[in-house]
Amino acid sequence: MGGEPAGPINQQGHEPEDWERLADAINAALGKKGLQTTDEHRRAIESLPNYRDLAYYERWASATEKLLVEKGLLTKIEIDERAADLHRRWENA
Amino acid sequence: MTARFVSGDPVRVRPGAKPGHVRTPDYLKGKPGRVESVLGAYPNPEDLAYGLSGQPERVLYKVGFRQGALWPDYEGPAEETLYADVYEHWLEPGGEE
Repeated sequence: MGGEPAGPINQQGHEPEDWERLADAINAALGKKGLQTTDEHRRAIESLPNYRDLAYYERWASATEKLLVEKGLLTKIEIDERAADLHRRWENA
Repeated sequence: MTARFVSGDPVRVRPGAKPGHVRTPDYLKGKPGRVESVLGAYPNPEDLAYGLSGQPERVLYKVGFRQGALWPDYEGPAEETLYADVYEHWLEPGGEE
């Protein structure tokens, strides 16, 4: 990965989970509204300190959060509160 | 668009680290290759990454690298080539003999 040694690749296809679809949808919506570009998102992904520990959409979600806070559109607290709220709703669904 | 290199030119990817976000993979830095084609001029993605305009546009090349020049333990066919898109500011003359 990135020219460095890596383990075997799991080539099994899998259905995206709900939160992965949501991460993708939020990303698309932010792009449509002109609040985030692919180039910015890519930069934010690659600068994540825990990049190698995260799965694909975990990187997407973490990078989106980083950009929204960086741009002053949301605060970390607002995001965490909303995430906790969603978590509660999904638990009860 | 003024392109510094033309198809067939031997080139080498600049070796150094550049601060900030870059679009040139680490494993190509310092490696020799050959220009396969000139792809056009595009806003610089390394500036777009920070919400800047990306102007002036940079010329993008498709560059071919011998796999053997990239990987120290490469044992595949000698003619096997890896192609990568590399922006002009990452290239200098030289490279493959």
